[in-house]
Amino acid sequence: MGRYILQRLFLFVPTFIGITLISFLITHLAPGDPAELLAGGGLGAGVAAGISVEKRGTVDQALAEWRAQFGLDRPLHVQYGVWLKNLFTLNFGDSFKDNQPVAGKILERLPVTVKLNILSLLLVYLVAIPLGVYSATHSYSFGDQVTTFTAFVLFALPIVWAGTMAIVFLGGGDFLYLFPPGGLTSIDYSPEWPLWERLKDQAWHLFLPVVLLSYGGFAGLSRYMRTGMLEVLGQDFVRTARAKGLSESIVIYKHVLRNSLIPMVTILASILPGMISGSVIIETIFSIPGLGQLGYQAVLARDYPIVMALFTVSALLTLLGILISDILLSVVDPRIAFGRRQS
Amino acid sequence: MSWRKVLIGVILGGLLLIAGVERAFDGQETGSVTGDWLLLHMLSDPEQLNPLTSNDAGASSILGYIFQGLLTRDPRTLELKPLLAESRPVISADKLTYTFKIRRDATFQDGHPLTGEDVLFSIKAIKCPLVNAPFLRVYYASVVDAELVDDYTIRFVTKEPYFLNENVLGGIDVLPRHYYDPDNLLKDVTVRELNRETSRQPDNSKRFADHFNKSYNRRPMGSGPYKFQSWKTGQEVMLVRDQNYWGNGKRGIDQPYLDVYRYRIINNPDAALVRLKSGGLDTMNLQPLQHLRQTRSKRFQKDYQKLLYFSPGFTYIGWNNALPIFQDKRVRRAMTHLTNRKQMVKAILFGLGKVIDSPIYRFRPEYDESLVSIPYDPQKALGLLGEAGWKDTDGDGLLDKVIDGKSTPFRFEIKFNSGNTIRKSVVLTLQDELKKHGITVTVRQLDWTIFLDDVRNHKFDAMVLGWAMSVNEPDAFQVWHSSQADNKGSNMISYKNSRVDKILEDYRREFDPKKRSELYREFQRILHDEQPYTFLFMGRSISAVQRRFQGVKVLPIGGLRPLEWWVPRSSRKYSSKITAQ
Amino acid sequence: MAVNRAGRRGYWSHVWRQFKRNRLAVGGLYVVLGLLTIAVLADLISSDKPYYMRYRGIDYFPIFRGYLVKLGVTKWPPELLNVNYKELGTERALFPPVPYRPDGIDLTAPFADPSLGHWLGTDKLGRDVMAGIIHGARISLSVGFVSVGISLLIGVSLGALAGFFGSWVDLVISRVFELMLAIPTFFLLITIAAVMPPSIFLTMAIIGLTSWVGIGRFTRNEFLKIRNLDYVTAAVALGVSSRSVMFRHILPNALAPVMVSVVLGVAAAILVESSLSFLGIGVPADLVTWGSILNEARSNTFAWWLAVFPGAAIFVTVLAYYMVGEGLRDALDPRLRGSEG
Repeated sequence: MGRYILQRLFLFVPTFIGITLISFLITHLAPGDPAELLAGGGLGAGVAAGISVEKRGTVDQALAEWRAQFGLDRPLHVQYGVWLKNLFTLNFGDSFKDNQPVAGKILERLPVTVKLNILSLLLVYLVAIPLGVYSATHSYSFGDQVTTFTAFVLFALPIVWAGTMAIVFLGGGDFLYLFPPGGLTSIDYSPEWPLWERLKDQAWHLFLPVVLLSYGGFAGLSRYMRTGMLEVLGQDFVRTARAKGLSESIVIYKHVLRNSLIPMVTILASILPGMISGSVIIETIFSIPGLGQLGYQAVLARDYPIVMALFTVSALLTLLGILISDILLSVVDPRIAFGRRQS
Repeated sequence: MSWRKVLIGVILGGLLLIAGVERAFDGQETGSVTGDWLLLHMLSDPEQLNPLTSNDAGASSILGYIFQGLLTRDPRTLELKPLLAESRPVISADKLTYTFKIRRDATFQDGHPLTGEDVLFSIKAIKCPLVNAPFLRVYYASVVDAELVDDYTIRFVTKEPYFLNENVLGGIDVLPRHYYDPDNLLKDVTVRELNRETSRQPDNSKRFADHFNKSYNRRPMGSGPYKFQSWKTGQEVMLVRDQNYWGNGKRGIDQPYLDVYRYRIINNPDAALVRLKSGGLDTMNLQPLQHLRQTRSKRFQKDYQKLLYFSPGFTYIGWNNALPIFQDKRVRRAMTHLTNRKQMVKAILFGLGKVIDSPIYRFRPEYDESLVSIPYDPQKALGLLGEAGWKDTDGDGLLDKVIDGKSTPFRFEIKFNSGNTIRKSVVLTLQDELKKHGITVTVRQLDWTIFLDDVRNHKFDAMVLGWAMSVNEPDAFQVWHSSQADNKGSNMISYKNSRVDKILEDYRREFDPKKRSELYREFQRILHDEQPYTFLFMGRSISAVQRRFQGVKVLPIGGLRPLEWWVPRSSRKYSSKITAQ
Repeated sequence: MAVNRAGRRGYWSHVWRQFKRNRLAVGGLYVVLGLLTIAVLADLISSDKPYYMRYRGIDYFPIFRGYLVKLGVTKWPPELLNVNYKELGTERALFPPVPYRPDGIDLTAPFADPSLGHWLGTDKLGRDVMAGIIHGARISLSVGFVSVGISLLIGVSLGALAGFFGSWVDLVISRVFELMLAIPTFFLLITIAAVMPPSIFLTMAIIGLTSWVGIGRFTRNEFLKIRNLDYVTAAVALGVSSRSVMFRHILPNALAPVMVSVVLGVAAAILVESSLSFLGIGVPADLVTWGSILNEARSNTFAWWLAVFPGAAIFVTVLAYYMVGEGLRDALDPRLRGSEG
C-alpha cells in the first residue's frame, strides 16, 4: 500500500507541473499588462488634476520601474523558475495590487469559502441520503419517480438564474425582503452580541448562498445513494439477514444503509475541491468576500501571483482528493486492486 | 470604471480639496457640536492605505482625512490657502524656486511636532525611485531639488516655469519621518541623488524603499483631524477624530465635528441601499435607478435627504484623427450630428446628466459660454458626409467613397472597455443609429488593460472613454498637444493643430488667470469646430444623507464635504465609546 | 455484442423502443426539437421586416428578399434601402409574430413592462426581450453543439488511443486526464474568457477544450473493455491494422455510451455559456444572449422580466437535454439504469 501511494505521488509530479505551467502561460501570455492597468488610474488622474505629465517617457519609465520591481521584465522561463522555486518554500509571492503576501490574502478569505462549502456539503448529504434511501427502498414507485424528477429539475436549474431570481424577489428590492441581498453579516454585527444573535444573523445571511450552492448536488448524490443501496440490497448477506427473520427496518437501516454509506464518504474527497472553484458565481452574486471573488477580481486585475496561487492550491487539493478517495475506496472494497481505477 | 477614474481625478486634483480642513472660522455655523458617528459606504476595500503607494479612489478619500499638505484649497472659492504652511510660498522671479514657511504649531497624531524635516522626507520618499509609487512620482518629475533653509523653512527648485507648480508642491502629503523612516535612512540621501536611475541609487535608498513598500500599507499616520483606527478586510475601515488634533480651535483651520467615520464595505449597491434603509449606513451614493425607483417613499424622504450634483467628468467618443476616414472634419461633425446625445442622457443616464461640448468643466472661469451644442440631425449629417464624398453609389445601402482608386465602404470599429454599462449602451446605440444610415460599425468590448494598451498605441478607429475634469485650474496640454500623440501620451486620437499647440504651450507659462482663460476659450472654440471627439455628457451623482446631519451642502463644484457635517445633541444616534488609541 | 451492420441496426431500434417508453425523455426530445426549430427559423419568427407588404402599389416580401440579398442574388430596391418598415407607410403589411430584431434599439421605450406590444418587455435600451430569447436560442444551441463537437473530437481521440494501446501511451494520456481533472476548469474558463477579446467562437473553443475529459475517460474505459473481447482479439490475430481495428471494430461499439455524455455535454456547455455571459465575459457586446439579458437583471432588479424569461429559457433547455440524456442512458443499457456516470 505504501508503495502504491508513493507511486501515485510520483505520478502526480508531472501532472502538477503541467497544471502550474498551463496556468502560468495563460496568465503571463494573455494580452494586457498589469503595469498599464495600474498606470491607467494615475494617467487619467493627472489630466484631471491639471498637473503636467512632462512626457509619456516618464510614464514609460514608471511602468518599467514597476515591472522590474515585480520581476516581470525577465524572460518567461526565468519567471516561472523563480515562481516554482518559491513554491517549495510555500511562498506564493506578493500581490501586485497591494504588495501583501498572497498566502496571507488567501488565508484571510479561506474561512469564508470553507464555511460556505462545508455548510452546503452538509446540506447536500442531509437531503440526498434520505432521498436516496427512500428512492431505493421504494424503487420504481411513483414517489421514487417524483423524487428523481425533482432532483433533476434542481440539477438543471441554472445557479445564475436561481441566484438572480432570489435577489430580485427575496432580497429586498421591489418585492419581498426575506433575506439580505448579500454580505456575510448585518452592518451592525459585533462580536459582543450574544452567541444566539450572532448565529441567527449569520444563518440569515448564509441561507440563500448555501441553499443555492447545494441544490444542484441533490440529484447526483441521491442517485448515487440509490444505486449503491440497490446494489447492497441485492447481495447475499441481505438475503441471509432477511432469511434470519430480522425485521425489514433493521435490515435496511443497520445492514444495508451502513454498507452503502461508505462509498458516499469516498466521493466527498472528490467533491470538495471542485466546490471551491464553483463558488465564484455565488460569491459574485451575493458579494461574499471569499476565494472565488478574490480569484475573479484577481483575474480582471491581472494580479498574476494570486491567480497562480489559486490554481495551484485548487489543483493540489484535487490531486489530494483523488488520492484519498482511491485509498478509501480500496480500503472499503478490497476487491478493487491497487491499480488503475476503472471509470 | 469611469466613475472610479473620475473619483481618482477629483481626489488627486483636489487632493487638498478633500483633505483640506480649511474653513473660515467666522463662517462656522452656530450650534455645531462634536459627537456622533458617520457610517459611509464603500464599494470595495481600499487596496492599501499608504499615502504614496495607494492608487485607488477609496483609499484616497480615507487618506484625505489622515494626511495634510502644505497648502489646501478653499472648497468654495477653490483658492489656494495655507494649511501646514504659514502662508503661500515665496516664488522667485524666474518662477523656478518656491520657498515655504511651515507652521510651528502643527503636530502629528502621535504628538510629535511637524517640522521641515518631515516635509523634506516626504518629497524624498516620493522621489525615491524604488518606492512603489511610480505613477505619483510622475507628477513630481519637475522637482529638481529640495533643501531645508532652517528647521521650519523648505525650498524647492523646479525644472521650468509652470503656473501649477505651486499646486503640485503644496499638495505633497506630509508624512512623519520618525514613523515612516525610523532609522532615518534617507537623511543623507539628497533629492538630486534620488533623481538618478534605480541602478545608481545609494544603498540606504534601497533599504528604505523595501521597508516602506511593505510595512505601512495598513497603518497610516499623519497630521490630519482623523486617526486611523482599524480595517477589517471586506467589512469596514474606521477612523476616529483625533482629540488632540493640532488644528483644534485654530483660526482658519476647519474644525471636525463627527467623532467616528466608519466606511462600510459593501460590494453590491443594492445591498448597500437595503442597509441604508435599515439604518446601517448614514450616507451613500445612489445609482440612478435607486434614485428614481427605490427611494421615493415618504418614509425614505423623511429619514434621508437626497442631494444631486454634477460629477466633474465626462464621456466621449474619440475618433482616430490619423485615420483616413476621420481625417475630414466634416465626417467627424457628421458623427456628432448622428449621436443623439439628448436622448442618450434621457434613456441611458435616466435624465441624470447633461450634454457637454467642451473638455473644460462648465463651472470653471475658463469655460467658453458661447459654444452652441451640435444637435442630433441625421439629414445634416448625411449632407456633410455627402460633401466629404461618402455616398451610396452601388445601391447596396452602404455609404462608400473612392479612396486610392478603390470603392471603400464606410465601416469602422469602435472599442470600449468591458464592465462599463453606460459606455456599452452608448456604443450599441450609435451602432444601431449608423446602421440605419448605411454605416457599418463593429463593436469591440475589451478588458480594461487590453483596451488601454490598444488606445495608447492608437490601435483603434473609434473608442469610448471618459476623462475626469479638473475642478481646479485645468491643463489640457497632455491630451491635446500634438507632441503627446507620438510618444504614447494621452493624445490618443492623434489630434494635431498647430494653433492649439501654441495655445497650450503659452497657457502653461502664463501666470495671469485672466489671460489663461482667454487662451482656453479660443482653444475650446477650435475643438468645437473640429470635433476631434464627440463630447457626450457628464453625469450627475446623487447622494442620500441621513437627516440628522446638519451642514450638509453641495459644493459649488459638486460633491459633499462630510468634514463640515455635525449632529445636534438632541438627535445624536451613537455615543462614541471608541476613542483614538 | 453485435458487430455486423444488421445487428447494429437491430440494436439501435431496440434502443429507440426503450427510449420511447420513457415519457419524460420523449417530452425532452420534443422540447429539444422545438428549440432547434426556433433556432433555425428565428429570422421568420422575430424580425423587424414584414413577410409581405404592399407599398406604393407594389408587393414585396422583405424577409425573403433579405435572404436573397445576403446571398448576393439580388439587391434592395432603392425605396427600401435602410428603411424602418413600421414607419414606411405601407398599404398592407404582414409582420412576423415578434416584429423586432433582437438588437433593435429604441431609446424611447427602455424597461417596458411585458405587454401586447412587447410580449416579454424590453431591456434598458428598449430591445425586445422576446426577440432576444428567440435569437438567443440560436447562439445557445450552436455554443452547445460546437463546443461538444470539439470535446468529442479530443475526448474520443485521446480516450481511444489510451484505451487501445494501453501501457505507456495510456500512462501518459492518463496524466493528461488527471491534469484536466485537477485544474479548476471553471476558473480556467473565466481566466481565459476574461482576458481574451470576447468572441463567440473563442467561447465555444474554450468550453470545448476544457470539457472533454469525461468523454475521454468514458471512451478509454470502453476501449479497454472491448479491446479484450474475443472478436477484437480475433481481428488483431488476423492481422487487421490497428487503425482499422480501432475505427471499424471498436469505435462504433464504444460510441453508444459516449452519446450520453454528448447529450449531457450540450446541456453543460449551455449552462457554462450562460454563466460566462452572466459575468459579462466571453460574448461580444452587441450579441444578445440568454445570459446577457439575465446579466442586466442583476443591476435592475425591478425589471423582473429580465430575470424570469431568459432564465426560464436556459432552464427549460438544459432540463430537456438532461431528460433526453437520461432516457438515452437507460435505453442504451438497462444495466446502467440509475447508476451515475
